[in-house]
Amino acid sequence: MRFLPYILKHLRRDWVRTASTVMGMAVCVFLFCTLRTVLQAMDDAREYGSVSRLITRHAVSLAYNLPLSYQGRIAQVGGVKRVAISTWFGGSLPVKKERQDVRRSGAPDFSKFFTNLAVEHEPYFAMHRELVVPAPEMAAFREDLRGSLIGRGLAQQFGWKVGDTFFLESFIPAFRRRQGPFEFVVRGIYDADLALEPAADNRFMYFHYKYLYEGMGRRIGTGVFVVELEDGRQSAAVARAIDGVFENSEAETKTQTEAAFRADFAARVGNLSLLLNSIGLAVIFTVLLVTGNTMSIAVRERRTEIAVLKTLGFSSGRVMGLVLAEAVAIGAFGGALGLGLSALMIETLPRLPSIGAFIRGLPTFGLHWAVSSQGLGIAVLVALVAGLLPALAAYRARIVDMLRQA
Amino acid sequence: MSAEPRPFPTAPPAVDIRSVRKVFHRGAETVTVLDGIDLRVAESAFVALMGPSGSGKTTLLNLIAGIDRPTSGEVVVAGTDVAQLSESGLARWRSANVGFIFQFYNLIPVLSAVENVELPLLLTSLPRQHRRERALTALKIVGLGDRAQHYPRQLSGGQEQRVAIARAIVTDPKVLVADEPTGDLDARSADEILALIETLNRDFGKTVVMVTHDPHAAERAHVQRHLQKGVLTR
Repeated sequence: MRFLPYILKHLRRDWVRTASTVMGMAVCVFLFCTLRTVLQAMDDAREYGSVSRLITRHAVSLAYNLPLSYQGRIAQVGGVKRVAISTWFGGSLPVKKERQDVRRSGAPDFSKFFTNLAVEHEPYFAMHRELVVPAPEMAAFREDLRGSLIGRGLAQQFGWKVGDTFFLESFIPAFRRRQGPFEFVVRGIYDADLALEPAADNRFMYFHYKYLYEGMGRRIGTGVFVVELEDGRQSAAVARAIDGVFENSEAETKTQTEAAFRADFAARVGNLSLLLNSIGLAVIFTVLLVTGNTMSIAVRERRTEIAVLKTLGFSSGRVMGLVLAEAVAIGAFGGALGLGLSALMIETLPRLPSIGAFIRGLPTFGLHWAVSSQGLGIAVLVALVAGLLPALAAYRARIVDMLRQA
Repeated sequence: MSAEPRPFPTAPPAVDIRSVRKVFHRGAETVTVLDGIDLRVAESAFVALMGPSGSGKTTLLNLIAGIDRPTSGEVVVAGTDVAQLSESGLARWRSANVGFIFQFYNLIPVLSAVENVELPLLLTSLPRQHRRERALTALKIVGLGDRAQHYPRQLSGGQEQRVAIARAIVTDPKVLVADEPTGDLDARSADEILALIETLNRDFGKTVVMVTHDPHAAERAHVQRHLQKGVLTR
């Protein structure tokens, strides 16, 4: 402890360099903690917990639809209260071109992409009580096959109001038809009750599955079945029972909690875990090099001082310890700063408009002490490794050589 | 061959160097920097080492200060054969027995004057307050009690060297070694520094071994020794 003021004073010597190294370390810890928290929460979401809804999908991939006939068989499984058809349409607003009829245009505009689901409205909205729709609007939606319910956020994004019409074109070949995009009418605007379901998103659009089914010539199945349970504590057993029903069939199923489904869906973008871990590792390695370089420069610049310290009686081991302590101090400051930034980001993420709903749906999302200590540990370890070579150089340096070079 | 001991002619020598050789290797070439040096410096003596560049003055000073080791021979300083000590033992010995004064002061720029002086005391078990008191006392001795909180960049060359001298004496070592302590100073500051070193020798009984090129500086010492090509000639 008696050397601490000495170490801190040295860190202030070239504060720009120290600050940039600390910032580099902070970014490293920030990324590590934030990515680990998201990945951990996604992993946790895959575990069965006490939930009220399950998602049954094709066991091989979400790209395959399930036969509609499965609905009745799932409904007969013990513990199942309701089953609803739900299909991800993958629709976008068509690209607008001069003198082009959007009703005939086939090119979707992915810059205006949003989630749109074809659902079997009666059971679906009965089990999704967090989607709050005024009764007259819900009634109007029921009556109109082209009708849609849109979230308040989506309505604000596109300036839509009840009665507006728009076209959607799916990028999924199975949902594209020769006569052009599907036309929809806004029949209602829903609000998401986050108290009932933290993962509820007010930027979705729902329309009648029947519209899609009829539009595609009654030749499609469904992406998933949403299953409401009698007792949420039985989720694991019911999921196993549902999958058991379709075992060894042509289309085996995989039944998960909603949160696990969302996590898998997000991971479907690619190997998300590998991607995020690779980013984290690349950043850690880069920071290692940057910190190592900084420490080397710092030691090289202080050759005379190291010689003076040794002349005054500081042993080589102690001088090495001082250099390492300086590196660890940088690591600790950077780690603490990164941890703070990560905590702030993790606090903010659930409130962000684009990703917030997904994050809120991860039941264990939050900065846990294990991840925090891993983050700090990595910062200190990276700093120690980075400081090792310069510290060894300081250890080995001979006083007379350093004084001669000064 | 020995310097005149002052003020106690019969006291054991503070520095006793016998048959010391120092050889450097530069690739295949062998350079003998010191060749059979014998030197005795009595306790409380003030010796000036003179000689042309490359004569081995600084190497001899480094051996006395325990920051280098002889190739052969004995270097006994303050009763200890420094060549026999381990690396860490030598470091401990230096912290207690030798104060080193550099030509270019070599203060730590991020530390204030008092913190620079306190630096060697960090190796002792003294509590913080005692360390600070001793450092301030050392600064008062060199006449810089009012500059304790100044940083090296805020001091003149002469003042920096005074701080360096305070750092050298703060552990109360028996021997002070100075490598051209006035080499970077103007005449007036050089005179003040030499006067200070004389005071430390006369009033505090420090044994001083000083390397210098300057004949006027050497005149302040009790004894002048001359090196020529690694051999003491006078």
